[in-house]
Amino acid sequence: MRQYGNRASLARVLVVAVAAGLAASPARAQDGVIRIGITLRMVVENGLKYGQLAKEQLEQVNAAGGINGKKVEVILLDDECKPDKGIANVNRFIHQHKVHLVLGSTCSSVSLPMVDVTAKEEVPQIVPHSTNANITKKGSAWVFRTSVSERFYAAIHAKYLSEHAGKKVAYLYTTDGAAIGFAKDYMAFMRKTYQIEPLYEAQMQETDLDFRSHLLKIKSLNPEVLAIGGQLDAIARITQQALEVGIASRVRRVAASAASNAPVPELAGDAVVGLIFAAAFSCKDERPVAQQFVKMVQQTYKVRCPDHDFSQAYETAQLVKLALQTAKLELTEASLKADRAAIRDALANIKNYSGLASGPISFCADPTPQCRDGNRTGILVEYTKGGKDYDMNVLARVGFDADFGL
Amino acid sequence: MKRTETSELTNTAVPRRDAGVDGRKPHRGLAWIGAGALLLPLPLALSNAYSQFVVNVILINIILAVGLNIVKGFAGQVTVGHMALAAVGAYASAVFSTKLGLSFWAALPAAMLLAGLAGAMVGVPSFRLEGAYLALATLGLAESVRIVISGTDWLGAAIGYEGIPPPTIGGFVFASHRSYYYIAMPLAMLGLYVSFSILSSDVGRAFKAVREDPLAAAASGVNVRKYKLIAFVLSALYAGCAGSLQAHMAPGFLHPNSYTITEMVTLLLMVVLGGIGHIWGGVIGAIIVTLIDDLTRDYYQYRMVMFGSVIVLTVMFLPRGLGGLIDDVLVRRRFRAIRARSLELAQAADREKS
Repeated sequence: MRQYGNRASLARVLVVAVAAGLAASPARAQDGVIRIGITLRMVVENGLKYGQLAKEQLEQVNAAGGINGKKVEVILLDDECKPDKGIANVNRFIHQHKVHLVLGSTCSSVSLPMVDVTAKEEVPQIVPHSTNANITKKGSAWVFRTSVSERFYAAIHAKYLSEHAGKKVAYLYTTDGAAIGFAKDYMAFMRKTYQIEPLYEAQMQETDLDFRSHLLKIKSLNPEVLAIGGQLDAIARITQQALEVGIASRVRRVAASAASNAPVPELAGDAVVGLIFAAAFSCKDERPVAQQFVKMVQQTYKVRCPDHDFSQAYETAQLVKLALQTAKLELTEASLKADRAAIRDALANIKNYSGLASGPISFCADPTPQCRDGNRTGILVEYTKGGKDYDMNVLARVGFDADFGL
Repeated sequence: MKRTETSELTNTAVPRRDAGVDGRKPHRGLAWIGAGALLLPLPLALSNAYSQFVVNVILINIILAVGLNIVKGFAGQVTVGHMALAAVGAYASAVFSTKLGLSFWAALPAAMLLAGLAGAMVGVPSFRLEGAYLALATLGLAESVRIVISGTDWLGAAIGYEGIPPPTIGGFVFASHRSYYYIAMPLAMLGLYVSFSILSSDVGRAFKAVREDPLAAAASGVNVRKYKLIAFVLSALYAGCAGSLQAHMAPGFLHPNSYTITEMVTLLLMVVLGGIGHIWGGVIGAIIVTLIDDLTRDYYQYRMVMFGSVIVLTVMFLPRGLGGLIDDVLVRRRFRAIRARSLELAQAADREKS
């Protein structure tokens, strides 16, 4: 009897919790407040910090009285790099929180469907991290990107390596979107520019741990370049296992931009020396604005060498603040549609913004990649030391025309 | 003929409670049509399009949970491959509509059939495997499906499959969350009705016999292999239907990451929380788990801890799920009613004697 009573109580608690949860849906958005929804992948190394950085940068203005006297309210959600969660988050932002702008996401597979939702609902979206070229090719008038598109990244390392290392390239990559994009774009560049086919190509699972059988085959083919696509743990493993199977250090290793994340040099140790990758930012950037940012991240988020996901989250927040300063906003329920359009137009008017990116960021009004891929400058970085106190060098800084790769 | 039942306490014939005025029981389908009609105005009561979106997700999860309950709850087969069957249905529906040009109304049944075929393939190992071994076999299939999709360019690989059109009737496009409800809700109601019909049919009784003791069932003339296969195929039809609904819901995007083991565990939680073998339990489980998943999204740092706590508390305090609890309440209530009516009859008989 007592057990039955306990279970009945638990069931009541469950029902009450669900009802309370439904009743506790966010209070009706207040007029006069600029609302921004951020959705990012936050379940990985430093992921939470990227989100916090963007949120805190945007809310910082409230201490100084807001933007043009208007307070900023930020809703931060995790999409776990899953499209269904990203779609749910963006729907929640738009229909429940009535946001004026959406910021996200990290993974291209999440940003891609988000573009369709924001285009249909006519809400401006700014993409801080995703690199897939199709994000800005969909023709949405509401999307902007601050990260460097993969159509630029591929050319940076492909051109450099073709001229400095060789054209016999072996490709080993995992089944995540960024890795596939990295490998396919590199292959496409080599085919188009030099009519050269891959020396070896293999696709592995994201969860695979042992790549030695592929690496031994690659070793026997005597390549000049080993291209590694994957998330940070796969890049670290492949780099280390390439050394273990005896692939000579004269074979240049190049990896997808995830190689810029701190765990790669920390996990791979000295095997990472000589690994190169294209990125949007390096903590070794000597410009005062960059060093000031590095110091801020070190102090606030306890990260020794912030990667380009930190810089892009920061940069995106600055661009949003800049647009909000110039947009004429009424911020009433009735003006929501007009306010969203005003923010979109203000973003489209940003020209030659100079910040952490290696080159200027410019947008324009046409819903084309030429106008909406704002950052068209990438850098090529090489690790010079592995382990906890890893180090790196910037090899090259390359800017592109807006039409490049289209 | 007047419908009666026998009182357990006095062994006297009493009228059945569900009998009509003339003793005839109304057709069960009428009640379902009535319930469906009652649910029609639900979108008007929802405050915004996001709530409508969540309701649509709940309806799809109900179809998934009710389908899983057929193979797991009715027939007792341990499977963790249900989300893979949903993926088969989703991608089949997407391919049929985008590459073959079929409308949603043709793509849906075609996708269900393909998922049913995949379900039959999953069911074959169940002839020889049971328990954890069957779970492992179905887990292998689930991961294989996800990996094949991840590596297949024409299925969108790891980037995702986009551009799946919403359903249309004439010139009307079911693109909004509110309009999509009128596709998802009737299908969920139909799925529930069919599930109840299966449970009360000979097939349902055979499922239960297989679940309780396959050897005894076989000795009683039940073709165990046949009914195991039927359970897997029926369950897969539900998964295919849910998958197709996922594919065509705006913005029409599919990705293999939506069909991982995490999603399967979440689906299992719906069935376990609701009560394995209880159809209404599965419905309640789907509603509660989907809402918990949604409501805890604001607390992303602690979300998985909260989600895990619900699983632990359920297993500790509600091992038979909410369905089991409802059963207890109903049995107690019925027992009290029978006792009261029997006492009344006994007192009436005493009065007549005196």
